[in-house]
Amino acid sequence: MTQVFTQKRMLTSVLMCLLATGLWQTGEGLWIHAKAQLAQFLLERAWDRAVAGEPAPKPWPWSDTQPIARLRVIRPSIDLIVLANASGRTLAFGPAYLSSSTPPGGRGTTILTGHRDTHFAFLLRLQPTDEILMETPDRRQHRYIVREVSIVDGRTTIIRSDGMPQLALVTCYPFDAIMPGGPLRFVVIADLKA
Amino acid sequence: MPYMRSKSRTFDATGHICRVIFAPLLMLGFLCLVSPQSHPARAAEHLSTSVIPTVGIQEVTEGTLLFRTTQPGRFIPAPTLKTDVTIDVTGIIARTSVRQEFTNPSREKDDWAEGIYVFPLPETAAVDHLRMTVGERIIEGQIKERTEAKKVYEQAKQDGKRTSLIEQERPNIFTTSVANIGPGERITVEIEYQETIRYDSGQFQLRFPMVVGPRYIPGTPVIVEEERPKGAGTSLDTDRVSDASRITPPVQKPGPRPVNPVSLSLTLTAGFPLAKLESLSHAILVIEDPDGRSHVTLRKDTVPADRDFQLTWQPAPGMEPIATVLTEQQDGETYALLMLMPPDRQNEAIPKIPRDVTFIIDTSGSMAGQSIEQAKASLTLALSRLTTRDRFNILQFNNRVRSLFSDLQPVTAASIKKAVRYADHLSADGGTEILPALRQALKGSADPHRLQQVILLTDGQIGNEEELFELLHHRLGTRRVFTVGIGSAPNSHLMRKTAELGRGTFTYIGNTAEVKDKLDGLFRKLERPVLSDLRFDQTGWTGIEQYPSRIADLYEGAPVIVAAKARSLPEHTVLHGRIGASPWSLPVSMKQATARSGLSVHWARQKISALMDEAVAGGSEDSIRKAVLDVALAHHLVSKYTSLVAVDMTPARPTDKPLTDHVLATNLAHGQDYHAIFGLPRTATSGPIHLLLGISLLVTFWMVWLVKSRFA
Repeated sequence: MTQVFTQKRMLTSVLMCLLATGLWQTGEGLWIHAKAQLAQFLLERAWDRAVAGEPAPKPWPWSDTQPIARLRVIRPSIDLIVLANASGRTLAFGPAYLSSSTPPGGRGTTILTGHRDTHFAFLLRLQPTDEILMETPDRRQHRYIVREVSIVDGRTTIIRSDGMPQLALVTCYPFDAIMPGGPLRFVVIADLKA
Repeated sequence: MPYMRSKSRTFDATGHICRVIFAPLLMLGFLCLVSPQSHPARAAEHLSTSVIPTVGIQEVTEGTLLFRTTQPGRFIPAPTLKTDVTIDVTGIIARTSVRQEFTNPSREKDDWAEGIYVFPLPETAAVDHLRMTVGERIIEGQIKERTEAKKVYEQAKQDGKRTSLIEQERPNIFTTSVANIGPGERITVEIEYQETIRYDSGQFQLRFPMVVGPRYIPGTPVIVEEERPKGAGTSLDTDRVSDASRITPPVQKPGPRPVNPVSLSLTLTAGFPLAKLESLSHAILVIEDPDGRSHVTLRKDTVPADRDFQLTWQPAPGMEPIATVLTEQQDGETYALLMLMPPDRQNEAIPKIPRDVTFIIDTSGSMAGQSIEQAKASLTLALSRLTTRDRFNILQFNNRVRSLFSDLQPVTAASIKKAVRYADHLSADGGTEILPALRQALKGSADPHRLQQVILLTDGQIGNEEELFELLHHRLGTRRVFTVGIGSAPNSHLMRKTAELGRGTFTYIGNTAEVKDKLDGLFRKLERPVLSDLRFDQTGWTGIEQYPSRIADLYEGAPVIVAAKARSLPEHTVLHGRIGASPWSLPVSMKQATARSGLSVHWARQKISALMDEAVAGGSEDSIRKAVLDVALAHHLVSKYTSLVAVDMTPARPTDKPLTDHVLATNLAHGQDYHAIFGLPRTATSGPIHLLLGISLLVTFWMVWLVKSRFA
């Protein structure tokens, strides 16, 4: 009698564990996506302040980054705020600008990186001749035309520039891989349209 | 400039050339990039793609320069450069001369090359000579105002003359440009610099960088970008500069380390009897001179440049502080270097002074990961060394300041236990607001009978340097601030300055394994300052100008060094200070001072450094610039406002070609514009794996639940 009781209790606790871990993991996964969306909402407000002339508006009081550009694509319809200082931390909130690369619109390569499963998922749908718009806080619009889309091994590849103004969007590949951290990268190169 | 830039665009459109794209580990701490000046014919092929596979690189067995060829993915390696290093050490000053051969390996007739070396030097380094050797001719570099030097260089470049330029990009980063090197031609560039040698825990340590650490490489693109006229968006500039070194990806190294032949010889005049002289990095040969000098050479004629050269030496042991004076006469002025060395063993008779220690820990986002773990380990170690007579507190700051106790607390079992638990729970997130934290640490009046020590653990990624320095300047009082740099690339310039203004020391910890060793040394010396409130008797010194103007305390394991200039010196001087609470003094004879060269340069470097600090403290840019120019031009020093430029008067490159092509093709600013992809931040989240795991667990739960309720 007691044995059956103990077994039942064990089963219940195993079930509770399953439920808790399951909810926790699902929550974690959803939270990453929610954070990506929510941050963009807050970033948009910070962006408005940046355009209004505030030098480095913080999207939330404790943030260590700020919006530096607005990235827009007409087809597929995309509107994202780009953050300064590409690092694992900022990428959770939006695509980020690699500070050591050329500023948007400048001569040389401007490099943006983003998460393949959130903000930069749309890269897969970009094709040559598609148009990408970059708006800087000084209200200038830079139009880029996609030239090439390629999948490269990040360990043996570099992005070169001839001093021509171009934009490189980099994300991880494959897009639907379950585990993060593979060596392949998906790179979109676009030329500045004069 | 705009004119050139627009032209350069036309050039790029018609074509660009072979370009060195990959130079991961180059000669002796020199990162070198070459952009040939013209080769329109080959251009079109290379424009077709921007993503280059760097396959051929795997076949390279040594770190070399690579030039692109017409065949995609194949490279021409530049011939291995030879480097000769000569170092002359006097007291704590080392003069280093580095001779490097620069070759343009191309056989194509019109491949005129221009190279740039970016080289990191110690923050205390002063570059004062540039010599270029072309065939039989030796061209000595002239010191000029920076903009003027640049103009001279650009003009010579346009005229087809061989020319070379050294500029200072940051206090510790210099670049050398060499233009108009003909195909197959060799140019030897020799630079000389002077640095102050590190003395720590009883021994002197000289390091000559032979390998560029990856953390220096990220600096390159930024430097080059700074040459561009600003205007693309001013808010970007600061962002770009401030964090670039952390974010720029290190270029991936090829499998085997480079094998560049390096020869090295060194002369050491320590100024005191030596107990030990050895190199932990290389096998060396030491020959002693009767006059106390030691000549050091490598056991092999040349060695591969696969690790930094390190030499350490130790004075013979003693119980008393030793004062050494070196002097140099130049242009009617006397330059003196006073060096006060602590005894290598503590006089145990002196009682320990109770201390008030405030720990400030940076818990901002940039500390996330390894850095915060190092900081925690450091803090825990520090807590274990406090004694019951001491008092302490812990402050942490990110976008706000939090503290363990409201004020300094006596050390008890309970308070330490609480502190260890507190340290254990620190986590890094948010912004970096260091000022309020430091303000809190420096508030109120300090108890004169106790040592007031503030220990700042940070990676130095701090924006408002000026305010920080100003705060230290006004509020320091009898306190001392010690900085501990953490993480792979801390802002060591900022932290060294903070420690200097705080009259403390700077300790750098590169990785977690070093925490214990480095901090044990620091804490041991913090427990017992040997001498405090040091000053020397200035009677008899006419027209004295000394740096630093406030002498730091003497601690175990770290000497105190003062550089002074005066019209005349007295025969004797007296050093005053305090040991604990009792006064101390030491007469020093200036008569026996050994005459050495290099002291004027050292003094000038200290003065420039002090002047640049004034700029930070809010001095007028114009007057500081003028003052720096005076010193730098007089002493032949490269500084923020001065550069060295050498021009060979004979034109080398035929100028009958359309000049614009040549000029514009060398538009360097873009020659370095390359990025390794691998070093970019990870661009995949762990979202999918969490979701997959979560949902499968929930499905399992649901199925088991169904089965269970059916049988229940």
